[in-house]
Parts: sequence; structure tokens; C-alpha cells
Amino acid sequence: MTEPREALRRIVIAGAGQLGVLAAIALKRALPSAEVVVLGIPIDPGALADRAATALPFTNRLHDRLGIDELALVAKAGASHRLITRYVGWGGPGQQAAVPYSTGTEPAMASRFAREWGGGRQGASMVASPTSPAQALAEAGRFAVIPPGEAGPLAEIDYALRWNPQAYRDLLIAIAQQLGVSYLPGNLLGVEPDGHGGIASVSLTGTEPIAADLFVDCSGPSAALLSTLPDFETLDWSNNLPVRKLILSRPGRPLVALEDRVTLLPEGWRYELAGRDGLQVTLGIAPGAAEEVALRALGAPPLIAFDLEPGRCIDPWIGNVLALGDASARFEPVAALNLDLAHRQLDLLIEMLPGRRIEPLERIEYNRRASLMMDAVRDTLALHYIAPAAAVQFGPIALSDDVERLRDQYERRGRTIFREEAPFSNSVMTNLLIALGFCPGVPPQEKTQNTQAAVSALNAKVQSALAFAPQYTSWLEGVLANLARA
Amino acid sequence: MGEHEIKPVRVVVLGGGTAGWMSAAGIAALLPGLATVDLVESEDIGIVGVGEATLPHIRGYVERLGIDEAAFMKATHATYKLGIDFRDFGSIGTSYIHPFGSFGESVAGLGFHHYWLELARQGLAGPIGDYSLAVAAAQANRFTPPLHDSSLASTYGYAYQFDATLFGPFMRDHGVKLGVTRHEGLVTAVERDVENGNVTALLLSDGRRLDGDLFIDCSGFRSLLLGQELEEDWEDWSQWLPCDRAAVMPCSHKKGMPLKPYTTASAMPAGWRWEIPLQHRMGNGYVFSSRFLDEDAACAEIEANACGEPLADPRILRFRTGRRRRSWSHNVIGVGLSSGFLEPLESTSIYLAQMAITYLIELFPTDGGIDARDRDEFNRLVDMEYDRVRDFLILHYHATTRDDSEFWNHVRTMKVPDSLAAKMDLWRRTGRVEKYADGLFYDASWIAVYLGQGWVPETHDSRAAIPPPEQIKRALDRLREAITQQVLAMPDHRQFLESEAARLAEAA
Repeated sequence: MTEPREALRRIVIAGAGQLGVLAAIALKRALPSAEVVVLGIPIDPGALADRAATALPFTNRLHDRLGIDELALVAKAGASHRLITRYVGWGGPGQQAAVPYSTGTEPAMASRFAREWGGGRQGASMVASPTSPAQALAEAGRFAVIPPGEAGPLAEIDYALRWNPQAYRDLLIAIAQQLGVSYLPGNLLGVEPDGHGGIASVSLTGTEPIAADLFVDCSGPSAALLSTLPDFETLDWSNNLPVRKLILSRPGRPLVALEDRVTLLPEGWRYELAGRDGLQVTLGIAPGAAEEVALRALGAPPLIAFDLEPGRCIDPWIGNVLALGDASARFEPVAALNLDLAHRQLDLLIEMLPGRRIEPLERIEYNRRASLMMDAVRDTLALHYIAPAAAVQFGPIALSDDVERLRDQYERRGRTIFREEAPFSNSVMTNLLIALGFCPGVPPQEKTQNTQAAVSALNAKVQSALAFAPQYTSWLEGVLANLARA
Repeated sequence: MGEHEIKPVRVVVLGGGTAGWMSAAGIAALLPGLATVDLVESEDIGIVGVGEATLPHIRGYVERLGIDEAAFMKATHATYKLGIDFRDFGSIGTSYIHPFGSFGESVAGLGFHHYWLELARQGLAGPIGDYSLAVAAAQANRFTPPLHDSSLASTYGYAYQFDATLFGPFMRDHGVKLGVTRHEGLVTAVERDVENGNVTALLLSDGRRLDGDLFIDCSGFRSLLLGQELEEDWEDWSQWLPCDRAAVMPCSHKKGMPLKPYTTASAMPAGWRWEIPLQHRMGNGYVFSSRFLDEDAACAEIEANACGEPLADPRILRFRTGRRRRSWSHNVIGVGLSSGFLEPLESTSIYLAQMAITYLIELFPTDGGIDARDRDEFNRLVDMEYDRVRDFLILHYHATTRDDSEFWNHVRTMKVPDSLAAKMDLWRRTGRVEKYADGLFYDASWIAVYLGQGWVPETHDSRAAIPPPEQIKRALDRLREAITQQVLAMPDHRQFLESEAARLAEAA
């Protein structure tokens, strides 16, 4: 007869950034009896999942399950909402399009709008395609979060959050402390192998060696724990992803907006992240662009620049050590996927939480699915660099079969391809392809409903959303005032 | 105006069985103006008429083609299907229903079955089927369509059990209405392009010729175009799925017997036997392996065991399990048995034909020639579908303790594909199911078969032991009670069918 597995007794998380602390919360909630220890070892400034001031809609659902209240993020972590990301110039000069997380129409219809009304290379000179409710709301500055389960014209609008990473981390630390997670600061002195390909204990300055059943490596690109293991191997993505240097700006003026913007420039790409604490700009420098020229393109005082070596671990889980975030995969933040991937990996770990004795087969299954996640991220990023106008400054890159197939199928047939563990649904992927300026081909089976009916249906959704939604800034002020009173 | 003239692709469908008419009607309905469809069939060639039982996906096909469900069910004498009752598979005397639905709900991200395993270990849980609305409704012979919300009433789906020999003709009438041209005749020769090897025309016995751009081979096991003409290689899977015959015998309903909203699959010494309740009769068949049982003995077995009074003598269907290496080669696409066959244990035949049609429509050549990339993509998708189904079917035979016949000794001890061995090991060691979101048969299905066949894992998730057992028991009891109440509120299956028929008659 089946037996419950002996539960993990002690879990050590290396790295106390926003990712490590959230991992601690998730693990402690899953296993309240386990001792969860976060090691405050220094994190590389290039740990993009820890620096990220935004994620994607998946994170909202993860927060929800972990009891992290969105309004608390608004009150204490400067959180604001993003309905769309606007891509500018990727299809050619003057072309731009929004990527919403919810489109209000089917992917096939979205492609058809793009084909018939613009988007793609001819986009600039054509009438813009019908607008999604999310885009109309973002442009009108109208939105309010609807309580879960409530119907209405805003119920279908999905969104991402941005926040102040420092304040967000502080808020998570408070929750972790409440749950009984312990914290040990120090520098990593060494690791003691366990003789089975994993780690028996780690030593920090000023402490006894700390043993654990499971080590979660959230230490950033150096993968401080995982990289000490004999079976550690990495996969280089430098042929697939051309950006080698990133520059981040100091925060600018506070900007409460429902959209962020990614612009293609001769020097690379510029990601403008709005926020209540100030606009933050990230520049991904194209190969061959001079750094001084790139600095001008940043358009804001620089805060930090660092090198990027894109790649991933072949196996992010070896022995009893599992790497999340930059410790498992490193790539540019052009699509806000860094923390999203880390959170999806964390969710996978919670789903597949091992017992004290880790089964090799569950490690294999975790690594299989985590690898599908990472490769789908790499391929989503690669699409940016083969966008019609981007290929010029970024040059040729190596493409996976999946990217080749997607591009071919989309351009010839207007068809997107389902992919296991992908970051975006087919619907969001379709919008991203349109925004990047790929021209959708004609699917053999155009929808039987005519375009006019679909446009009318979409316009009706837009009108009712606009009529229903308050001004986002007033809504936000109201929420903050209520929270302050409470 | 201004759109360039579209020259319709001339599609020729060879074969007028289920796959043939599903393909012809599907293309005519969903690619209007892009294709002309000619179908050639011969009354001299019988149809296998496989797939009396279906999967819920068929509803999507019926709906997309704009077919009224009630009219369709009336024409094919269909009943509703909530799952399959497997008897004597894990061991003699045991049974379980593989439902079109889930068992319980995940709690705090942990699958329901881990909590169930924990409670069952302590002797506090009922059979896992008690916690599935589909199973409970099936066992009570009740049916009502599911709701589309997030309530308990939305936790199941349904399919149909119908007379497959009537389904083809129903689709034929529909297809002809949609503009499919039907040709009665026998194909005597196939013309090919000498340069590229494409099929260019079918020549019929009376001298007519059917020219085409695209040929859909629905000629059944003969695989006239894909197999015989193009000699596309056959990948044989009979080492894992040794059944290669079915002894089939329709019977009348037994008087006073309830109409089951599910199919029954009973393991037999050399295979298994189906019972499929239709409105007007019972479908019966013994799927067996000719290596372990001869045809006469199988016929005797079905006569001895069939449910109801025989309406005809048993007849033998012969098949082999496997698939063509490529289902789309040159300009020929195999749909149905001409491209591959997986025995009907999980009612997948019509599903596999339907998916091939769906993918073909997505990848349909419209701009002149066929692009090799579309052909590769089609074959990739079809392979994925076949592989998933294959492993799941093998599981039913391999996860057993039966040692009462040579057949069961063989399937119990055979080496299974590595892909399945890994899945079974992961389950055995940890109670986890390998996850995928594309293709057929997800977690709930694998769990149903594993647990139903006594393949209890050695361990389950430690988190299931965190809440006090009484707390889990209370939650499970509440769920079972809610399911019982919901089932009691459902009409009897036969009553529901009759009321639907009355509604249809009134509307007409």
C-alpha cells in the first residue's frame, strides 16, 4: 500500500532577493512543518529576476495562491497595472502595435485585422486595425481591478503588475517572517558535497555548516550552489540571442500609465517601464553599437550597466539542488519574462515538491518541463531579433526548429503553434507576432463570420469597457485613500 | 473586388466510410470556395464502421459543421456516453470507470488523488470513483448535459455511442447537401505524375476518371493510395498491442434493462469484449489476438457472452495495429484506417480521423502546390496524437496482475516503449503523472487507469499527510454527498433521451 513520503525537514534557499523570499514563502506555505532558511548571500547585480520591477499575469495568480494581497502591493510596494505593452518600430519605421494580455477577439480574427487593416510592414501607411478593449482602456487611462468572480466589462481584462522591487521585497520579508521563515546573512564560504551528486551542507561566514534536504539556488547568474556540483553543465544561447550588454537608467519622473513601451532603435531596443516610483528605462545594446551612442539612446541618466551571457543550465535540478531564476537561465528583459519564468519554475517546484528522499525520476520530469519553459522563453525572445526591422541591427542569429516553424507557419498561413510550457497563450503570441511586424499569411479557413460582425462585436466591448471603467488615476487614489483609512 | 481569383483545390476522397464522409463533409463545410470535393465509394465494398463509441471531441466536430445534436443523435440512434467501465483488467473481479471527467479538486496546488491515497491508506476513503460526478452518474444510469461554469456540474463531459453504419450515411447526406459530389464506382487504376510521383487521377471500372490536386485516402485497411500505390512504410506496433481481430455481433436490448450511459469493456482470456448500448440495439464485440485464440473460438465466445439476443451471426474484422511512417505523402493524405490503427479500447478511432481532418484543414494547400513544410507539420502532429494514444492503450494491458492466460502473461511481461516505462515508473515511485497539454488523455485519465487497475503507487506526496485525516475525510464525504445529490437530481438516461426526442419532434 502507498505511504506518504517523508516530508522535507529543512529547505535552504540561497539568495534573499525578491525571488528567494517568494520561494521561501511558497515552500513554507506548502510545508508548514519544514524549517525554511533563507541565506542572505550577496546577489549578483545582474540577477534580472531579482531586479525585475514587473512580471506577467501568471504572477498575480501565484500571489493569490500564496496569500499575497494585490492591494497590499498597491499600498506598500508602489504597485501599478499594465494592460498592454506597446511595440514601436519593430516592423519598420512608424509601425507600432499593442500587445494586450486579453484581446477581446480570437487569434485568427486578430491576425485577419492585422492583415486587412495594417500591422506588419505596410502598417504605417494603413488604417490602424480595430482596437482591443485593453488597448482602448490603456489609451484612455481608464481601468479598475474587478474583485474576482465579479462579472462586467472589465472581468475579461487581464493585466500585469509593476512594483518597486525594494518595497516589494520588504513586504515579502514581512510575510516570510510571519510564517516563520528564518534568515541568515553572510558570505558563502563553501559547500560540502553529500556524495550523491548533491550538497550536504553549506557554510557561511560566522555560522556553523547548514545542512538541508533541499537547496534552492536563487543566487543569480553565478548559480553559487548549483555550479559547485560535478554534474553542472550550461547551454550557451549566445548564438540565439544577440544582446551582450544592458544599461539600466535611474528612475525618472513618476508615471502612472497602463502601458509600457518597447522601442526598436538603431542602437538596440529600449524598454520603458512606467511606475509610480518613476519611469525606468532599460537598453539592450545591439552588437556593434558604441556604448556612448547607446547611452544617448537611453535618454535618461544611467544607473548601472552589465554584461549579459545568455544561456541556461542543462539540468536546473541536480541532486538536491534546484536553481530558479537567473541561476537557471539568463536572458534579456525585453519581454518581462525574467521573473515570470522564475515564478513558473517555482510553481512547478511546488507542484512536484519532493520528499526527503528525492526520486531521480521526479528530477527528470522537473528538468524536462523546466527545460521546455526555458527554451520557449529563448524562442519568444528570438522572435524579437528576427522581426522585419530588427534583423538589420541585430544581425543573423541561430534559430531553433520551433522558431523557424512558427515564423514560417505564421507568415505563410497566419497560424500559430501550440507549445508545451510556453510563456504566452496562442492568443497573446499572435498579438506579439503582429506587434513585432510579422505579416500574417492567410489561413485557408477564414472565419465564417464576416469581419464586420467581429469588428462590431469588438467595438461594442470597447465601448462598454470605456463606459464602465473609471479613470485609473482616480481609482488608484481611491484605493490608496481607503487603505490609508483602514 | 480586387482579390485575386481563387482556384479551388480539387479534392478527391477515396472511400465512403466514416473517415471518408467525415473528411468530405468537413472540407466542404469549412473550406467553402477553396475546395471542390469528389468522393468515390462502392457499394460492393463493405465498410468497417468502426467507432460505435466516441470521445467528447466528436461534439466539437458536429458543432463546427453546424449539425443539430438532437437530429444527429436521432439519425444515428445515439446514446450519451460518460466513460468506459473496464472490468477484469487489473485482475479478475475488479472494475473501474474511466470517466470523461475529473476526480475531486486540487487542494493548495496538490492533486486530489494524493489526498485520496492518504485516506485510502487509512481505510477511510471510498473507491476513487465515488468522488467523480461522471462515474457516479454513469453508475446510476443517469444523464444530463454538464454546465459551463465552475460548479460541480461542470466537472464532466460526454460523448456519443452510435451506430457507426448510420453515421457514415448521415455524414454523406450532410456532405452532399454541402456540395460534395458522390461517385459510385470501383477504382481500378491510379495515375501518377512521372516527375514528382503525385497522384493525378483515379480511374474507375466504368472508364470514368477523377482528376484531383489532393487525394484523401479513406480506403480503410486496404490503404489503396498511401499503402499500395505510394508504398508508404508501415510501423508495426503489434508487439505491444497484439490484438488483431474482432468478432462482432449486434444484439437486441434485453427487456427491462437500464440504458447505460457508458461503454463496457470486459477483459477476456485473449483480449477484451465491448458492450455498447445504442438506442435500438446493443453493440457487442470481442477484440482478440489471433496468436492466442482462433476466429471460430472467438465467435463462440461472443455468442456465449454477448449481452442481449443476437440480431445476426458474428462476423470477423481483421486489423493490425500501427501506423504509416507518414500519413501525408506526396499529395495523398491518409485519414482513418488507411493511415493507422489503434484498437478501440479507448474509442479513439473516430478521434484520430477527426484530428487528421482538423490538421489538414489548418494546413490545407491553397496557393497552388503543396508546401513540404505543411506536410511535415501535419505528420508531426499526427505522430504526436498516435504516440500519446498508443502508450495509454498499452498501459491497460501492462498494468495487470493477470496470469490466467498466455495472452495476459504476454502483455503483463512484455517490454513496453521507453516513453511509457518512464511514465509508469514515475507514477509507481511518486504517484505523479507526466504532464502534457497537447494531444489526448491527461492526468485524470492516467490516474483512473492506474488506480482502477490496482497500480497503486509506492508513495504519495508528503503534503497529503499534513491535514488531520478526519479533516480530509470530512471534505471527501462532503464531496461525495454533493455528487450523490447532484446525481439524484439527474433524469434517467433513457428518460432524458426520450424527452430530447419529444422536444425534437415538437420543434419539427
